[in-house]
Amino acid sequence: MKILIADDSRVMRQIVVRTLRQAGHGGHDIVEAENGKQALELVQSEQPDLVLSDWNMPEMTGIDCLSALRASGSTVKFGFVTSEGSDEMRERAAAAGAAFLIAKPFTPEAFDDALRSVI
Amino acid sequence: MNLDLRTVTGDFGLPVDTGDVVAPAADDVYELTAEVWSSLLGNAIPLLSRPVPPGTPFDPAGAWSASVSVSGGWHGMVTVELTEYAARTLTRAMLALPDETPDDELGDADVADAVGELVNMVGGNVKSLMPGPSTLSLPAVAAGRAAFPSEVHEVARVDVTWAGEPVRVGVHVPTGESNR
Repeated sequence: MKILIADDSRVMRQIVVRTLRQAGHGGHDIVEAENGKQALELVQSEQPDLVLSDWNMPEMTGIDCLSALRASGSTVKFGFVTSEGSDEMRERAAAAGAAFLIAKPFTPEAFDDALRSVI
Repeated sequence: MNLDLRTVTGDFGLPVDTGDVVAPAADDVYELTAEVWSSLLGNAIPLLSRPVPPGTPFDPAGAWSASVSVSGGWHGMVTVELTEYAARTLTRAMLALPDETPDDELGDADVADAVGELVNMVGGNVKSLMPGPSTLSLPAVAAGRAAFPSEVHEVARVDVTWAGEPVRVGVHVPTGESNR
């Protein structure tokens, strides 16, 4: 499985990779993007099976990236990893076509639950 | 308006209506700060509550500060201030670098990234406690003490100790605005 991780924080991308490993999902191919625009391009060129995306990013937000993907016909599985876990944000994420939203700070168990829902 | 910053309390998850402003309870800010710290950094070095000191515990030459703004259904700014030592120690922990990694192998960009992610998480969780819908800004991070615009005032403050160093989390709202 190929997973695209989109976050403008290099530290957070590293923490997400580490948490995936701790959650028992360490064997996947990882591709990284620094913002939504780059994620959008990499979905086309890398054809990941899953996108794990921050919400707030420069250039293009995660929700705009997801909307652009769906508008282009992409059905790639997409989940948010964001510090904003309110009901309102979860509803916006689901309405845009996200499979899940993992709120920061997160646990390996939260990652395992989310990934099992899409694998 | 004078608030006793450590005694503003309410049911967890509910903003406190002080009559003038809608603000998060300091106890809730403490709880979510502790959760962010333990999730990101583990419990090997505990986050300890400490008495509110007079003035600032930070030396401008050896401090890092970061802020995020919330705008929309609620307007406010969340800040994190910490010492240079604490900032570099937590950056090493977040990057899973050995404790003995020398400071000069940690770039300021790494420290800014780590401190920015901390304030992003605390700010995002504060936003979730407050009336919405609102938008969270990208974090602004600086080496040095935070400079607060004159049009905001502090409504909640959490002073803690981590790795023997002071850490301060603050919530600020616009002055003279009902914020309703």
